[in-house]
Amino acid sequence: MNAEQPRKPGWLSDRLGWGGIAASLERHRAPRRGFVFYLGGITLFLLLLQVLSGVLLVLYYKPDAANAHASLERIVGEIPYGDLVRGVHAWSSEFFIAFLLAHLFTVVLRRSYRSPQELSWLSGLVALFIGVGLAFTGTILPWSQKAYAQARVGSEIAHNVPFLGNWLYRLLRGGTEVTSNTLSNAYGFHVAVLPATLTLIVGFHLFFLSRKPAAISEPADDDDDAEASKASSATEADTIPLYPDFLLRQAVVWVGVLVAVMTLAIFADRPLGAPADPRLSSTGAMPPWYFLPFHQIVRSSPRELLGIDGPKFIVGATCLLGLLVVVLPFLDRKGSKLVAWAGWLVLFVLILLATSALS
Amino acid sequence: MSNDEPKGPPRRDFLGIAVGGSAAVFAVAAAYPVARFIEPGTRPRPGPAVVGKLIEFPPGTVRSVMVDDRPALVVRAQDGSFRAFSAICTHLQCVVGYSPERNQIECPCHRGVYSMDGLNIGGPPPRPLEELQVTVNEGTIIVSAVG
Ligand code: FES
Repeated sequence: MNAEQPRKPGWLSDRLGWGGIAASLERHRAPRRGFVFYLGGITLFLLLLQVLSGVLLVLYYKPDAANAHASLERIVGEIPYGDLVRGVHAWSSEFFIAFLLAHLFTVVLRRSYRSPQELSWLSGLVALFIGVGLAFTGTILPWSQKAYAQARVGSEIAHNVPFLGNWLYRLLRGGTEVTSNTLSNAYGFHVAVLPATLTLIVGFHLFFLSRKPAAISEPADDDDDAEASKASSATEADTIPLYPDFLLRQAVVWVGVLVAVMTLAIFADRPLGAPADPRLSSTGAMPPWYFLPFHQIVRSSPRELLGIDGPKFIVGATCLLGLLVVVLPFLDRKGSKLVAWAGWLVLFVLILLATSALS
Repeated sequence: MSNDEPKGPPRRDFLGIAVGGSAAVFAVAAAYPVARFIEPGTRPRPGPAVVGKLIEFPPGTVRSVMVDDRPALVVRAQDGSFRAFSAICTHLQCVVGYSPERNQIECPCHRGVYSMDGLNIGGPPPRPLEELQVTVNEGTIIVSAVG
């Protein structure tokens, strides 16, 4: 567009100060091998996909009980590429949670949460929490039979959270019953409060990462002698510059993820389901896959545990476990191997529970 | 926190505390109204609500109705008497439904089972279904909370 286009290359980079940015990025190094180092970036990319497709959906979606389902039917059925946009939004949200969990899990296994990475760990957990909140509010928005049931059960589970339960419950429902208010509250959180907060948190997360140059460039070193010597022998040869090498590879991985999401969005059917009718019994209220282990525990637990209401006990115990995860870097400053083993054990139990929930 | 030890630059400490303290006070002052704003008040008990005409409930019918914004089941026994229950499962508040095959009330969410008297007879539900009051007034059925 500019008449005196760059003889001096980089009109824009001049103004951005790109040289300085690139130089500082080049100083960071990333591991040459290991898919685990791409998980966080993939999660970020999926978030981006959701924001883009979500912004498009907002144009046609109507957040009230009388019109929500019909407006989605219109998006899927009438609006050009509507089903693609919705498909991308829905599938990338599944992938988002999956990669977020995988990212978290590999961080536990590699014990990368330990000092001085506590803030990355905490911000990551907040991001996970918000991500689950986004997924939950997102399932309510279609206002289908299933959405209605999940709004009921989800808010009632929140009701059992110690101390905050009552407040959370009414907040999620927009009252004491699941009504159109519930839907508009979910909408407000889904499109404004949660994405804004998540953007901020992800910003912090990346910032904390950049504060510690070695953060992603060190393979899991250990305090054990054998491992320590191995770690110190990790040479330049095992790493590549963050920019452009690592980011370029990351971009290639992103293209792969995009292809996978698009393929599913185009070919895998995600039926909207019947519109919500509060009078009908809550059939098909199977929760999304990441809640299956919890669902199985809730379903098979006795009515009372240690004299406490079953659900109260389970939710309370889950909160306690969550708290333990939050303070993990402070409990385990050195990165004990035990934590990694516990991580594997937890994963095993979760998979076992999820598969039994499906049977 | 004792003030009688002269240490560091006290003025900067004071400034830090003053700024931090006021920020905290402002944060709380802003958070409280926000928290109250987004938390709606409690609603009154449901009903009374007209749920239909007498002729729509021949003996032996079970119908799902809405009492205000809460689902309920109205049961008319063979002898013509009425009973109504909140259709909200006492476990985690899914909506229960009548199963004609097994003549019982079932919750599909975690396989809860209630008898036709609303008693929790199977699965995780900890309590019987809340019973509602039915009144028949000049051919209309009115359901409301008991008491
Ligand atoms: S909500 Fe009815 S059995 Fe769990």
